Amino acid sequence: MRTLIQTLSLLLFSTLFVFATYKLPNWLPADIYLRLDPLLGMNAIFAAREIIGRALWALITIGVTLVIGRFFCAYVCPMGTSIDFLDFLFFHKKKRPGLKAEPSLRKAKYFLLILFIAAALTGLSLAFLMDPMSLLTRFYTFFIYPLAITLINLFLDLLRPLSQALGWVTLSHLHYFQSVYYMTAITLVIFGGIIVLNRLVPRFWCRYLCPLGAFLSLISPLGLFKRRVSEDCNECLKCQKACPMGAVAEDPRGTHLAECIQCRTCAKVCPQNAITFPASLSLGGEYSKIDFSRRGFLYSLAGGLGIGFLATQAPFTLKQSKHQLIRPPGAIPETEFLRTCIRCGECMKSCLTNTLQPCLWESGFSGLWTPKMDPRLAPCDQNCNVCGKVCPTQAIRSVTLDEKTHAKVGTAILRKEMCLVWAQNKICLICDEICPYNAIVFRPIEGYRRPVVIASKCNGCGFCEQRCPVKGESAIVVIPEGEIRLKEGSYVKEAKRLQLEFKPDPGDDKYILEESGFKIEDKKKEKENILPGEKPQPKKPKGFL
Amino acid sequence: MKDSKQAITRRGFLKMAAAGTALTLAGRPSFIFGREEYDLAVISGEPVAATRKALDAMGGISRFVKKGQRVVLKPNMSFSRTPDFSATTHPAVVATVAQACIEAGASQVLVLDHTLQRAELCLERTGIREACKNLPGVHVLALQERKFFREIKIPQGKILERVEVIKEVLDHSVLINIPVAKSHSATGVSMGMKGLMGLIWDRESFHSQYNINQAIADLGTVIKPQLTILDATRALVSGGPGGPGEVKKPNLIIAGIDPIAVDSYGVTLVPWYGQNFKGRQVEHLLVSHQRGLGKIDIDQINIFKEKV
Repeated sequence: MRTLIQTLSLLLFSTLFVFATYKLPNWLPADIYLRLDPLLGMNAIFAAREIIGRALWALITIGVTLVIGRFFCAYVCPMGTSIDFLDFLFFHKKKRPGLKAEPSLRKAKYFLLILFIAAALTGLSLAFLMDPMSLLTRFYTFFIYPLAITLINLFLDLLRPLSQALGWVTLSHLHYFQSVYYMTAITLVIFGGIIVLNRLVPRFWCRYLCPLGAFLSLISPLGLFKRRVSEDCNECLKCQKACPMGAVAEDPRGTHLAECIQCRTCAKVCPQNAITFPASLSLGGEYSKIDFSRRGFLYSLAGGLGIGFLATQAPFTLKQSKHQLIRPPGAIPETEFLRTCIRCGECMKSCLTNTLQPCLWESGFSGLWTPKMDPRLAPCDQNCNVCGKVCPTQAIRSVTLDEKTHAKVGTAILRKEMCLVWAQNKICLICDEICPYNAIVFRPIEGYRRPVVIASKCNGCGFCEQRCPVKGESAIVVIPEGEIRLKEGSYVKEAKRLQLEFKPDPGDDKYILEESGFKIEDKKKEKENILPGEKPQPKKPKGFL
Repeated sequence: MKDSKQAITRRGFLKMAAAGTALTLAGRPSFIFGREEYDLAVISGEPVAATRKALDAMGGISRFVKKGQRVVLKPNMSFSRTPDFSATTHPAVVATVAQACIEAGASQVLVLDHTLQRAELCLERTGIREACKNLPGVHVLALQERKFFREIKIPQGKILERVEVIKEVLDHSVLINIPVAKSHSATGVSMGMKGLMGLIWDRESFHSQYNINQAIADLGTVIKPQLTILDATRALVSGGPGGPGEVKKPNLIIAGIDPIAVDSYGVTLVPWYGQNFKGRQVEHLLVSHQRGLGKIDIDQINIFKEKV
């Protein structure tokens, strides 16, 4: 029964993950697991110092846990399910050494919880490091998803001779877009580490480390359902051995209520059928207390505040806007963004073009795993606004396509010394050809047609940077200059206020042809230019003789 | 031209082709069976009706597509733009041709392009996949992986020695090019000839490495569509090839066997960037013409015009 619910929950999590793409329907909250996570919610709300609508979904989890107990870990948590599943796969036959320092280790998760909350209070978002939802979504994004695509494509390649022979046209031409991400290895190592720890004790992570579990355990002793052992108990201690959480006390009749995740494994293994989980309103007596020293509390509090303080100081932070960092369109202002983003990687998974990539140090310690655009790798497509749609804390705002178009992420600049046209007089106009907003135009300069960027028409989508045929670094790059970062309000209005226009202006090319563009070059030359036979070069558009 | 759907035997066709070639070389309009054969069909009207009529005027689709043959249609669906941007071929035109091919007994119709933007977006937003959805035997595919291309030599290539082309184009006997009429920032206009670049793997080098006009002509010596149907229902007269730009509505379908003639006529339809041009003024067409790929002067082209 439990395995079934767990499997369904993991399936739901995976399905929603798969759905988090460009095609995501508006009604489907693909990020629901992340929204339901109270730790991520608290983290974002405390760090950002304001109420975040989507994070309030976590109240459901809190409410249900108050009523039922710490059921979440055993039944809902996809991380717990993954751990159980992989545990079964790798370790279930192994004899585990167990741990001597068990009780003090148990406290670790509470210290971590306090540390994260304290850090959040200083404005540093840190819970993502160990929050299971964030961790697992990240692992899915950076490892499972690209790997799955690779395997599917490999399978399709193997199948191709067959599908060709059978005349299955679509199948024989099927190939899925392969997303690639930086930091895949690091993410795998962390997840792998969590699984390997199971070698020591089952659910090592959940018992000792998980800060979300810690939070839920704090409120779970109030729950309705509690383990009760009847008179039939013969103290065989089978339940104690079987309990994945180590929640059965020395005396098997007692229960560490905070640790009990109500998986009912004990009831299953009990030869006497002495264990039940009836509804009861009592607070569970002596074992419900969470052993938690004042000193430990103070240390972790101080630790959290200290890290929070340090991480916001140089050298752990980079000076904002003094380095190349393009945030996704709709990302709220940088300080708030870093506080609100929970690094789940959902935006990067859903990104249609794969331009969104995780940061390592680009924005300092406080910016680990935050999304950035890598326009050389891929551009931001003007028909897609999915990154905001799936953001569980709205660090990237969910906005309409029109709004998103106006959420300027930066401005393209030409590096003339590298540009094939400027530096080598070659005929190249790929940037002009690909620009969806006509922000790149050719102007006659010193007798040659040269590409220039009209900054007020460029919203930084990066098509030019990606397509630039110069090998290595692009000759046209998007820099954060001119980005519009709004916490609230309309990007369209803001763009209008700044006199930006990200729209086609078909008249612009015409302007070059008819006016020859010399107006901006040199007003005096204008008259000469009108004379027939003079400077015919820019008279005709490219490709015409 | 009411009953232009005459049956043509293979021998007759060869004779006619030989005669046609000879006459073409002699610089005269070609004739078949005493009746005029047209180089171009220029049909004005709604996309579907005009396309049908254009096919009829060219002797019916069965002149090009035989029973059991596989057909590759090459529309321009390279940009994720809706049809009103005129950066891509009108979906109704593509679907009409595809349906005609199926009706003529084609075993399979592949609508192919190597798109410039993300494949699924292009297929979706151009409307071409949707338009062909309910046509059995018609498959709309954007091929973005090198494994779907094969390298061939270009014996007559001036600057290109070899090129990687979509396998199906090489393996199939029938290729119908269905470009849209649009301006192009590098080549002046992008119609049938320029559209052939959508069938090859490495387009970028055309822009950066080679003289693009020569490269297109080189490509034209190895990829020869049996029929070119230019969708000039709309024309993107500036801001091409991707748009956005000024869209004019000539409401025309131009069909022809000679790819240069089709493009050359297309050039004269509308002013590009506010100026009138002739085919000879478009460098890649002129180069291709000089390489013997087709007629470029409109006064030497025999044109059938009709309004539907």
